Amino acid sequence: MSFMSKKVKVIPCSGIGKSHGLLAREMGLRVVNELCPQEAETECLAYIMTEDREILDRVKESKFVTIDGCPKMCAAKSVAHVGGTVAQEFRVVDALKEYRGVKPGNAAALNEDGWKIVDATAEKISARVKEIYGEE
Amino acid sequence: MGAVKIGVISCSGEDCLGGTISRLATKKLLDEIRPGDGVTLCLPLFIAGGEEERGFAVAHPTITVDGCDKLCAKRATERLSGKVNDVVQVADIIGKETAEGPVISTCNINAAHQDMVDKVTEEIRVKFDRIAENYKGKALPIMGF
Repeated sequence: MSFMSKKVKVIPCSGIGKSHGLLAREMGLRVVNELCPQEAETECLAYIMTEDREILDRVKESKFVTIDGCPKMCAAKSVAHVGGTVAQEFRVVDALKEYRGVKPGNAAALNEDGWKIVDATAEKISARVKEIYGEE
Repeated sequence: MGAVKIGVISCSGEDCLGGTISRLATKKLLDEIRPGDGVTLCLPLFIAGGEEERGFAVAHPTITVDGCDKLCAKRATERLSGKVNDVVQVADIIGKETAEGPVISTCNINAAHQDMVDKVTEEIRVKFDRIAENYKGKALPIMGF
């Protein structure tokens, strides 16, 4: 008998080309590790992409919140591609509309402004995660 | 036609320390050690309709950098594009137990982590330079990277 977690899976794109990917990654880590450790967990997006049976079994039983750095929406598309249910898509580009002109750092390190964006956006994401978790 | 650019593809590594190290080492190599000689490709873009990424990895030499022994970057790249030229396994360099430890935020990177990044970067550099040497004198189509 296998145990399937009912935690919401939070999947950032972790894009490596620009700061947007790192923002998404840090938002995801903040939600999973600090803001919603009881309600959320993550999976490696790269592991999802391998389409191994083990991860596909976990994917089909879970609800996902994706966080994408750019409009290409790689995390959301990748989760949907393997049959996952994306309950909410977040886009970093949307979050950045509230911070026009702000430079958050680069793809390897965020600056103070970048961490402020992570803090504020992760709060919003965690609120949605708790709602989705409560719908179970 | 231009000089051969080498693609370095890191795993996304949200699940373990090795993933964080993998990403930082890949960025360090391409931004500081061999700037302009290679490009990094977003692994998830391979699935999300990234024809440029898939095409680049078919036409150009590639190295994958994987944080743990699942080797997701290597396997996903080879499934969607083609055989990679070389692989860097972070777990082989910093130890399996360390690599599979809890993932950390970049705000918690300390001197020990930075030392791991440097060791992995050096391993990528050695393989990167070997591939560059093998492709010396060969020219591949310039793509949009």
